[in-house]
Amino acid sequence: MKNKPKTDLDYVEFYAEELKKNPEIFKQQKELIESQLKSNSDLTKKRFSKKNFKSQVRDYLKKSR
Amino acid sequence: MDSENKTYYIKNNTIIINRDLNKLDLFVKDFLDVLKRHTSYLIVSGFVSISTGRTRGTEDVDCLVPKMDKHKFSLLLQDLFKNHFWCYQGDSLEEIWSYVEKGDNIRFAREEEIFPNIEFILVDESKPAKYFELTHPQKIKIKDFEFNIPPIEFEILYKEIILNGKKDIADAKHLRIFFSEILNKEKFKEYELIIKQEK
Repeated sequence: MKNKPKTDLDYVEFYAEELKKNPEIFKQQKELIESQLKSNSDLTKKRFSKKNFKSQVRDYLKKSR
Repeated sequence: MDSENKTYYIKNNTIIINRDLNKLDLFVKDFLDVLKRHTSYLIVSGFVSISTGRTRGTEDVDCLVPKMDKHKFSLLLQDLFKNHFWCYQGDSLEEIWSYVEKGDNIRFAREEEIFPNIEFILVDESKPAKYFELTHPQKIKIKDFEFNIPPIEFEILYKEIILNGKKDIADAKHLRIFFSEILNKEKFKEYELIIKQEK
């Protein structure tokens, strides 16, 4: 990319070009993905107890539709 | 540049991505290790872009599976339960089959988790584009995790023509740039005709 990225799609392009040159960038992606998974898991544990987990989640999903 | 230093390379028609596995990969790998014992499959959409480097979050991983009969499905379901996955739609074959029979998608997650989950999408010839990609898989490998995705040109066009959301257009852009050296113009023409049948 010759010009400075401006739009979201410019950033997607910039990142993909940089990634092609440097696989080390995958390490940042791994951190981001695992941090999101941990947040989701922590939120799930806070919101739903282990007891009757599945029925609580199903009720929640029905109500949130 | 040696293949070990490249972000990706092709070996025996398989795309090899040069990165370590992350926890999202391991979730998908665990699910596919069970699924592969029972049926063919195809991983599509967001996980294809994410597994090839797109930096965005996802909560679900879309998995196409050929339509199957109730007996075959019951064996798969037992195996998934035995391997600590649970189904959003129910705990019994009868409950879950009632969704599958209607053609509804169902979701599986690890026990005591909601995310990430697998959206399990049953496909037959009535969905020509989905059926085509399911029967024309491209192998991709990250370390020891090998799985099936659509041909990259097909995935790009499906996102641009059928899905067409902001996230999908960005995913398609990522794939176009990241794989620019291996994309084939003729395949784009061939796949566009197939995809437009589903529009």
